[in-house]
Amino acid sequence: MDSWVIAMMLGASIFLGGIALAAFMWGIKNGQFDDETKMMNQVQFDDEAELNDAANQQRKQEAMNKREYKPE
Amino acid sequence: MSKVKCDHCHLEFSDDVMIHDGEYRFCCNGCRGIFHLLKDEGLESFYSKMGDTTLSPPTEQFEASTNFDTPAFHERFVTTTKEGLFQVSLVIEGIHCAACVWLNEKALHKMEGVIEAHINYTNNKARITWNPESVKLSGIIDMIRAIGYNAFPYDASLQEVRANKERKDYYLRMAVATFATMNMMWIAVAQYAGYFTGITQDVKTILNVAEWFLATPVLFYSGWIFYRGAYYGLRNRAVTMDLLVVTGSSLAYLYSIYITVFEKGEAYFDSVAMIITFVLFGKFLEVLSRKNAADTLDIIGKHIPREVSILEGETIRSVDVNEVKVGDVIVIRSGERSAIDGEVISGEGSFDESNLTGESEPIFKRLGDKIISGTTSIDALIHYRSTKDFAHSTLSNLVNLLENAMAQKPSIEQLANRLSQHFSSTILFLAIATFWTWLFWPHSFDRSLMVGISVIIIACPCALALATPVATLVGLALGAKRGILFKSAAQIETMAKATMVVLDKTGTITQGRPEVVYATLHHPFDHNVLHTLVSSSKHPISRGVLEYLERTEEGVDSTSLEEVREIPARGMVGRANGVVVAGGNALLMKELGIAVDAVSDKSIFYYAVDNLLVAVYELRDLPKARAHESIEILKRSSLRVVMLTGDHEAAAHRVAKEVGIDEVHAHLTPEGKAAFIASAHQDGHIVVMAGDGVNDLLALAAADIAIAMGNGSDIAIEVSDVVLMNDSLTSLTEAFGISRKTYGLIKQNLGISLVYNSITIPLAMMGYVIPLIAAISMSFSSLLVVGNSMRVRWLYK
Repeated sequence: MDSWVIAMMLGASIFLGGIALAAFMWGIKNGQFDDETKMMNQVQFDDEAELNDAANQQRKQEAMNKREYKPE
Repeated sequence: MSKVKCDHCHLEFSDDVMIHDGEYRFCCNGCRGIFHLLKDEGLESFYSKMGDTTLSPPTEQFEASTNFDTPAFHERFVTTTKEGLFQVSLVIEGIHCAACVWLNEKALHKMEGVIEAHINYTNNKARITWNPESVKLSGIIDMIRAIGYNAFPYDASLQEVRANKERKDYYLRMAVATFATMNMMWIAVAQYAGYFTGITQDVKTILNVAEWFLATPVLFYSGWIFYRGAYYGLRNRAVTMDLLVVTGSSLAYLYSIYITVFEKGEAYFDSVAMIITFVLFGKFLEVLSRKNAADTLDIIGKHIPREVSILEGETIRSVDVNEVKVGDVIVIRSGERSAIDGEVISGEGSFDESNLTGESEPIFKRLGDKIISGTTSIDALIHYRSTKDFAHSTLSNLVNLLENAMAQKPSIEQLANRLSQHFSSTILFLAIATFWTWLFWPHSFDRSLMVGISVIIIACPCALALATPVATLVGLALGAKRGILFKSAAQIETMAKATMVVLDKTGTITQGRPEVVYATLHHPFDHNVLHTLVSSSKHPISRGVLEYLERTEEGVDSTSLEEVREIPARGMVGRANGVVVAGGNALLMKELGIAVDAVSDKSIFYYAVDNLLVAVYELRDLPKARAHESIEILKRSSLRVVMLTGDHEAAAHRVAKEVGIDEVHAHLTPEGKAAFIASAHQDGHIVVMAGDGVNDLLALAAADIAIAMGNGSDIAIEVSDVVLMNDSLTSLTEAFGISRKTYGLIKQNLGISLVYNSITIPLAMMGYVIPLIAAISMSFSSLLVVGNSMRVRWLYK
C-alpha cells in the first residue's frame, strides 16, 4: 500500500472533522447554545410559521439598516 | 359537579363558576381577554404548543407602564445601539413553558418597530431592541402584560456581559483543543503501534505532519491564554505556572517540528496538545467559579431608592436622592424604603429596621423620632425632615464601607500557586544546567539540546496544574450534593485554613422567629377566636402564637370577628359575639386597665376576653435543632467560635449558654461586627463569618470566608462565598469537613506530582528518556492525580 493513501485519508477526515468543528464554533458564537433549556425545546417550534417570522424579522432589520445608511 | 378546564390558563374549575363564551369556558375575564387577543393576532397555536402546562391567571394590578418612558428610567436601563435603536433588558414574569417563550417572542415580533426580541428560557431574561420612532417602550410592556405576563427591568451590567463573553471565549478555545486532541489520539495509536512493530520513515513523517497540523491551533489559539498569562507574569517579575506550561509546550512543539523535518527520533505533538487541553480545562473551572465583587455592588445598588418624594408647600415632587438638601421635608408611604436620615415631623407608624439591627420586631415611630435610611415603612405615612444629605446618610455610608471592605478583602495565597513558582523556576534552571553540562561533557550541540528539552517536557506541568482544580471540583460536587454551595473553588482552601468562626445570632444560630415556649391559661376560652385574632396580623409574635395554636390545638379554625383593629406597637383588638377580645403586649393590657406583671426578658403575648386576662404566652427565638452538637464539633476541630449580635446582652448570653458558645459580643452595630472581624485579622486569624441579614453584610464582606444562610436576604447571599441551602448549623460543620478533606487531597496531589517529577527528572537529565517513558510519564502522572481526587468520595461519606 502506498503511503499517499494514508496521507489522503488523514487529510480528508481531518478536513471533514474541521467542517463540523467550524459549524459548532459558528453555533457558539451565534449564541445558539446560550440557553440550554430553550435549545432543547427548539425542535417543537420549527415549522413554516417560524420560518416566516424569522424572514419577517430579517426584513425589518434590513429596512432599518437601509434607512440608516441613506445620505441626508 | 364536573370540573372544566379554562380555555386559557388550563386550570380546572367547576362549570357553574366559569364564564361561558360560546363554546369556550374561562375562569376569569383576564383569561378571556388574552384568549381573544391571541385569536385575533393569529397566535392561537400557542395552546397546542403548551401541552399540559397550566398558566397562572393574569393579575390586574400593574404600575403604570408610562413609568417605563420616563427619562430617569431611560438613563438607567436603556442603551442605544450603534444603529440608533434602543435596547432594554427585562425579566419576564410568568413564563412556565417553552410555549410561553414562543408566545412572547412572536407577539413582540408582530409589533411594528420591534426589531428583535430574544428571551432566555433558563433565566427568563429578555433583550428587546426597538425603533424609538415607531414604538414606545410602554407600548411593548403593555403588549407583554396584555398577553398575561409581566416585565420588569434589570441592569444588564457590564460585568455580566464581560463574564458571558469570557465564558464563550473559553468554550471556543476548548472546542478547538478538544477536537484536535481527540483526533491526535488516533494518530498517536498508529504511531505507538508503529514504534513497537516497525514503521517506515515516510509513513511516520505523514503521521507527524498530520499531528503538526492539528497541534498548531491548539498551541497558538487555545493556548493563547497561557502565553498571555506568562507575559503578564513576567512583567510583574513572577515565574508562574503559565510560564512553565508555555515553555514546556512551545519547546516540545519546536523540537517536534525539528524531528519531523529532519526525519529522526519521535515527535511529541500529542503531548503538546494534551498538556494545553488539560490545563485549559482546569483553568476554565477556575474562571467559571470566580466571583466578581463589582457584580455584588451592582445588586446592592438596586436596593437603594433612586428617587424620593419631597413636599414643597402643598405639592409632592419626586426628585433624585442626590438633590435632597438638609431640611427638606420628605414623604414616605407604607412599603417605601427611606434613602435619607431624618426626624419625623408628622404622622406615625411602624418601621422595619431589620436591615440595620437584624431583629425582626417592627419599631414604632412618631413625632420627633429618628428615621434611619435603609429602613422600610411597614404601615406608616410619615413626613420627616432630612437631617443629612444622601451622601452622609446611614445607607450610603454602609454601601461605601462595604465597597471598601470588599476591595480590601485579604487574599490567602493558594498552596499550588506558591509551589508552582518555585517549581517552575527550579525546572527551568535544571534544564539549562543540563544543557550546558552535556555540551561541555563532550557531546554534540544537537544531543545536548535534546536532553535539555526533555527535562522540561518530562517535568510535565500537567499533574501539578491539575492537582488543585480536580480536587476542588470533587469537593464542590460533594458540597453541592449536601446543599453547600461554594461559589468559588479557591475558597475551599481558605476555609480549610480557617482558625476562627464567627456566628450571627438571629437567623443563624436561632431560627429567627419567636416560638411559644410557655403558655399559662388562666381561664377557659374559645381558641378559635384567638386563632382569628392572631391570624389578622403579620407581626412575628402573632405568627408565633398562631403557629403554636395550630400545633397544639386540634381542629382549631378561624371564626368570624368584627371590628378587628391592629394597634401599632401594642397588639390587636376585635369583637366576637358582642364581647371585646384583645391580644397584645403589656402596654395594651395597661391601656385596657388590666393589671399584668411584666418582668421577663422574653416576649410576652397577653390575651384578654371582656377585660379579663385569660391566657399568657411566652415567646422566644429558639436555637436551631442540633445547634449545640454542631458547635461542639466546630470547637473540637480547634476553631475559635464567637457569637456576634445586635441584640441585648441578656438574650445573647442565654442563647450562647444554650448552644455552648463561650465568647459573646452583644449590642453590636453592623460596623461593630466588621470591626471585630478586622481586629481578629490583625491577630492573625483566618475568619469564617456566617450570617443571614443585611446587618451582617459588612462583617461578611470583611471576613475571609462569608457564609450565608439559604433563606437569608438576597444581598447577604450575594456577598457570601458559601451558601448553606438548608440553613442548618450541621451543614456548616459539614462545609468545614469537606473543605479540610479537599485541602488534604490537594496537598496529596501536589505531593504525588512532586515525587513523580523527582524520579523522572534525574532520568531525563541523564539522557535516559526514551519516548516510551516520556509518554507513560505524561499520562500516568495525570491519571494518578485524577484518581487520587476521586477518593474524596470514600473519604467523606
